[in-house]
Amino acid sequence: MEKSLERPDPAESDRALVAAMVARDADAVARLYDRHVSRLLGVAYRILGETGEAEEVVQEVFLYAWRAASSYDPFRGSVLAWLVVATRSRAIDRIRTRKSAVPSDERGRDPLAGLPAADDVEETTASRQWEKVCRGAVAELPEEQRRALELAFFEGLTHPEIAARTATPLGTVKTRIRLGLMKLRERVRPYSSREKNA
Amino acid sequence: MHSDRHEELLSLAALGVPLEDDARDYEQLIAERCPVCEELFPELREAAAALGAVVPARAPRPELRAAVMASLGPARRPARTTAGWAGWLFAAAAAALFVLIALDDARLRRGREELRSENADLRLREESARSEIARRDLRARVLESDDVRMLFLGGHGPQPGARAKVFWSPGAKRGVLVTAGLAPLPPDRQYQLWVFVGGKPVDAGVFDADPSGKILFESKELASVTAENFAVTVEPRGGLPQPSGPIVLLGSPSAG
Repeated sequence: MEKSLERPDPAESDRALVAAMVARDADAVARLYDRHVSRLLGVAYRILGETGEAEEVVQEVFLYAWRAASSYDPFRGSVLAWLVVATRSRAIDRIRTRKSAVPSDERGRDPLAGLPAADDVEETTASRQWEKVCRGAVAELPEEQRRALELAFFEGLTHPEIAARTATPLGTVKTRIRLGLMKLRERVRPYSSREKNA
Repeated sequence: MHSDRHEELLSLAALGVPLEDDARDYEQLIAERCPVCEELFPELREAAAALGAVVPARAPRPELRAAVMASLGPARRPARTTAGWAGWLFAAAAAALFVLIALDDARLRRGREELRSENADLRLREESARSEIARRDLRARVLESDDVRMLFLGGHGPQPGARAKVFWSPGAKRGVLVTAGLAPLPPDRQYQLWVFVGGKPVDAGVFDADPSGKILFESKELASVTAENFAVTVEPRGGLPQPSGPIVLLGSPSAG
């Protein structure tokens, strides 16, 4: 597929860093960290609503990437997708093990929340373009599909839980998730840096 | 064969949703090694990761990087030549120091300029606020004075649809004009308010049109306490000692 836009971190370069990590080059972790930490921290914070815990998750993710670099499979997605999914999984695990979950509407009240958003962190134009494409794609989803995806991805709800939360039949929830994610796929695919023939 | 059900299972898996009752179907799907599904799953993972781009990125605390690097344990550093190492180190340190000093100096200069600019802006805003308070005081003195009078002004000549009221206080020697429907003017023209004393027009100040046509204008100090009538004309910017342009608003003292 012809790529019209590169990710902030072209896949070749990200994959080269992961390959260097397999060879136990710690500098590669540092470079991967510099590229993606603000994005991953944003995801962890969105799920956990607490800066300290979000940073712990991000630290765990980079340690995992360091130890499991050899298990990264480019045919299963880009390095960024690998890291985002790992971040999301660890953050959701923490939510599930919390004795008293923080209601989502109360998140964002932690005292360290005043740390600057990463808008002023140096990013490439391509990074902003890629984020713009993703935001536009999500914004264009029908409300009920977007809501179902957010509840699954950020809240970690199972589909029966989403059905109960939104008072919607289970089959409808599954359909919304399928249609929503397929639409997102159509929109972001031209901008994906994943290369199948790598 | 690829189906909606396959897309459904792959979507749930790509999002990381626990499959629960669907787990067996998903395992069967994986076992079938459907080529379309193998192509689709990574793309759905990319789509799921796109959700992560929607939330605002966050800058980490500086300590986090060091903590991450410290947690890695033993690592191999990329091989580097050791020839001339000390010289390179010294040169690099000197260059870095020079760059730091230059950057710091530039930062300080920029900071001073920003402070000067902010200071000037604050002074302007303070003057503007003082001026606005003074104008409001004046309006209040006119409108709330015991001797306040009011006169209706009707559209005249080229602007028959314009309307206005003028409030004036002989005690305060000021008038306040409130208009509606006044047309915009070319940049070289302004409206001029006239007060008639002894049958003759006296300049009471100039004002610009507002795109909305609604204007609240305070007159200059009125020369006489005996205002017989008011009028508004279109004049060259800055106004004239005597009216020269068309009358667009004219009072009707008998109706006031």
